[in-house]
Amino acid sequence: MKIDSGDTAWVLAAAALVMLMTPALGFFYGGLVRRKNVLSTIMHSFFILCLISVQWVLWGYSLAFGPDKGHIIGGLEWVGLNGVGFAPNADYAPTIPHQAFMLFQMMFAVITPALISGAFAERQRFKAFVLFSLLWATFVYDPIAHWVWGAGGWLHTLGALDFAGGTVVHISSGVSALVAALVLGRRLGFGKQKVEPHDATMTVLGAALLWFGWFGFNAGSALGAGALATSAFVVTNTAAAMAALTWMTVSWWHKKQPSVIGAAAGAVAGLVAITPASGFVNVMGAIVIGFGAGVVCYLAIQLRERIKVDDALDVWAVHGIGGTWGALATGLFATVAINSAAANGLFYGNPKQALIQLVAVGAVWGWSILGTFVILKVVNLFVPLRVHEDEEVLGLDLSQHGEPAYAGIHAN
Amino acid sequence: MDPTTIMAVVCSVVVFAGWLLLPHSPTTVKPVVVSEEREPARVSA
Repeated sequence: MKIDSGDTAWVLAAAALVMLMTPALGFFYGGLVRRKNVLSTIMHSFFILCLISVQWVLWGYSLAFGPDKGHIIGGLEWVGLNGVGFAPNADYAPTIPHQAFMLFQMMFAVITPALISGAFAERQRFKAFVLFSLLWATFVYDPIAHWVWGAGGWLHTLGALDFAGGTVVHISSGVSALVAALVLGRRLGFGKQKVEPHDATMTVLGAALLWFGWFGFNAGSALGAGALATSAFVVTNTAAAMAALTWMTVSWWHKKQPSVIGAAAGAVAGLVAITPASGFVNVMGAIVIGFGAGVVCYLAIQLRERIKVDDALDVWAVHGIGGTWGALATGLFATVAINSAAANGLFYGNPKQALIQLVAVGAVWGWSILGTFVILKVVNLFVPLRVHEDEEVLGLDLSQHGEPAYAGIHAN
Repeated sequence: MDPTTIMAVVCSVVVFAGWLLLPHSPTTVKPVVVSEEREPARVSA
């Protein structure tokens, strides 16, 4: 195996793009919370970037991508990156250094628990958040990554298609977010007082940076600088744009005005939905996937509001439901004309692929629900998950970190 | 045209045509309530 300098350059650049997504997520979420909690919300993303970067090189990468153990988990042979060097690994990426692949995957492992933080924003104790994130990355993310992407993983062997993380990243985080919101309970005053985003401009900027970084997420998942990366880039941009247009239209019809935050959320929903499909569908498929994301994610938010679940920043609706739609749509619109190494979907004559996708979605939903619930209960034995009421009223910036986001302004 | 293309065309028509048909309800402008007065910066001589 010979290292290709073009492929290596692209994957390293893509890893940097994906890294940018986590602080961008911090700004996307930070704009949506009240000003007394913005710093703590941004800190969730920034801290996880640090935490999982270390967890991944110590044991996370080995559990996710190490030598297969019973099709469930990777072994501990690659702990501390032992044996993960600069020669390519034929199982994962034959034209780039193994460490370049490890680094690219690290950024996926980083952003996934950061996504969950939107569900428990404005009320989770920081120490509980730290413990939860470390355990969740180890016992939920790493096994799921192995099932779907690891050599020998059972969903990988079954033929499940997930190009860039619709199941591994978005369903796992979105479903876990729902569980976290239910276990933690609602914020004080939820449903009685209107909680409005403190800075919509920050949210739109965050969404734009997420969109930018997503080109690395999806096109980088081709693991080479060629036609497949180009196709993934094109469909990613198309689906994001179509979902933003659709969400804006639906909200315009529903609320009588075209929402700016809605357009930003719609773009993110489209990016989520195209993620699993980005290496398998053509641009027409991307338009349908983007349209579907704009509709189903918007409806999911209406449902979440109706059943009064306080998933503060709608992680379940956008990532859980968007990821589920994208994973299922992959089984409908995948075509070997785009990726000859994959399979056709239902609309290209292969209904079996739709069933395989359904199995993958069900398995990831199930493990995410079970794992997250158990981890939250275990953490709660040692550290209370929620802050005290007076700390919540004061705001997490001051109560958890002792720092205000905006000097001289402490109220709400 | 294959089924995917037909669906994509229908989705696009729905979205683009939707804008022509959707009403727009402007929000009544209310005076902004200033909750906090900023003190002018003091510069010592």
